[in-house]
Amino acid sequence: MAATDRDGSALAALVHAALALPILALPAKAGAAAVGEVGVTLLGYKERGLMKITEPVIWGRVQFAEVWEVQASAAVDIITGASPQLVSNALGKPVQTITGASISDRRNTGDLKVTRRFGDLALSASRTLSKEEDYHSKAFGLEARLDLNQRNTTIAAGYGKSNDRILSADDPNLNERRDTREYLAGVTQVISPTSLVQSTITWARGTGWYNDPYKLTFTFFDAGLPILAPDRRPDHRDTLAWLTRYRAHFPAAHGTLQADYRFYRDDWGIRAHTLEVAWQQELNERWALRPALRYYTQDAADFYSPTVPRPQPPVQSSDQRLGAWGGVSPSLRATWRLDRLTLEATLGYVHNARNLRFGGGGADAFETLRAWYGIVGATHSF
Amino acid sequence: MKRTRFAILLVAAATLAGCVAVQPYQRGYLAREDMALEANPGTMKALEKTYSAKEAASGGASVGGGGCGCN
Repeated sequence: MAATDRDGSALAALVHAALALPILALPAKAGAAAVGEVGVTLLGYKERGLMKITEPVIWGRVQFAEVWEVQASAAVDIITGASPQLVSNALGKPVQTITGASISDRRNTGDLKVTRRFGDLALSASRTLSKEEDYHSKAFGLEARLDLNQRNTTIAAGYGKSNDRILSADDPNLNERRDTREYLAGVTQVISPTSLVQSTITWARGTGWYNDPYKLTFTFFDAGLPILAPDRRPDHRDTLAWLTRYRAHFPAAHGTLQADYRFYRDDWGIRAHTLEVAWQQELNERWALRPALRYYTQDAADFYSPTVPRPQPPVQSSDQRLGAWGGVSPSLRATWRLDRLTLEATLGYVHNARNLRFGGGGADAFETLRAWYGIVGATHSF
Repeated sequence: MKRTRFAILLVAAATLAGCVAVQPYQRGYLAREDMALEANPGTMKALEKTYSAKEAASGGASVGGGGCGCN
């Protein structure tokens, strides 16, 4: 009898949660004055021979009075290790060189998002602040979501603005601005009782300082003096990112397919594709496993060059993140649930290389990057 | 840009054409946690940190997230 009550209560909770779809992420609970989650997450990331990042995150979200939702998070990034600063062809072909002492940086960031529902319409306002020794960022976002078609369709529109300040640990005189305006349009569509899709496009128009104050190119020529050139990029960047996410549950297999694809392009000449496919397998009531594979490929920026061309152009960067390359990243996540507590652990590997670029033709100077990361987290729902 | 617009229209048309009206009582599976479009905020932040500092591409899911001086 107790089991039947529990099943009935679980079913009721599920139906109430379903009624809230697709606009609210939190499952609704009948009669609850407030429903929410709080969680802590810890990221550990380690590149072979380069950087190490530790990031603790604390977050929470709560729904109350049936129409309000508040979400907030705070994180600290602790970065140590070496960062590539110089690309030089002193030994023949251009290669990355680690120069200077090991870096140590700390970034504090926090965000707050408040959502109010008005029937089928939900309006959100968000604020994000981020501060590190050489970079400050303040951003806000406004978003509207409207449920249509008996909540089988949700359309979204958004506007955001960020004001960033770029400083340098090496140059006390550097204090430059970068301002970005962002626009969002999207649609979420329930396809069937077991599948849904969301497609979102964001455009961003940025102006200001994009140069990386820590990157240099040191080029030797057959004749004449070598040139040591600082990183010089255009003073504007217009980007478009189109993200489509698909979810399909297979009840007989107790598994869910999660597929995300993002197309990206900007006026620097970069085109990038990101595809991630995951399968979340429920093992029993408590355990689930989620193997995933992520693939990323990008073209080079028009002004990317590992050596300084002659004549020297007004914009040129040897930063390999602007070169042509590709990367694969397999990961495995284990989830354990007990009543209101969920524990999660993810282990992933990142392998970025020039020969992983889709269609070949990666940048010769691209230095292969190998990294491991682990994410552990605990969530308590109430 | 024309190809991008065409692809957007194609995906929208294909998606809407394949849809059926799902009633509220049929949404039990859609309410599952593994059907969520995003992981929890903590995991999302950690994954974003892992990839965005090394890749030229970013964005697509939201606006107003701000920037960082990731090296």
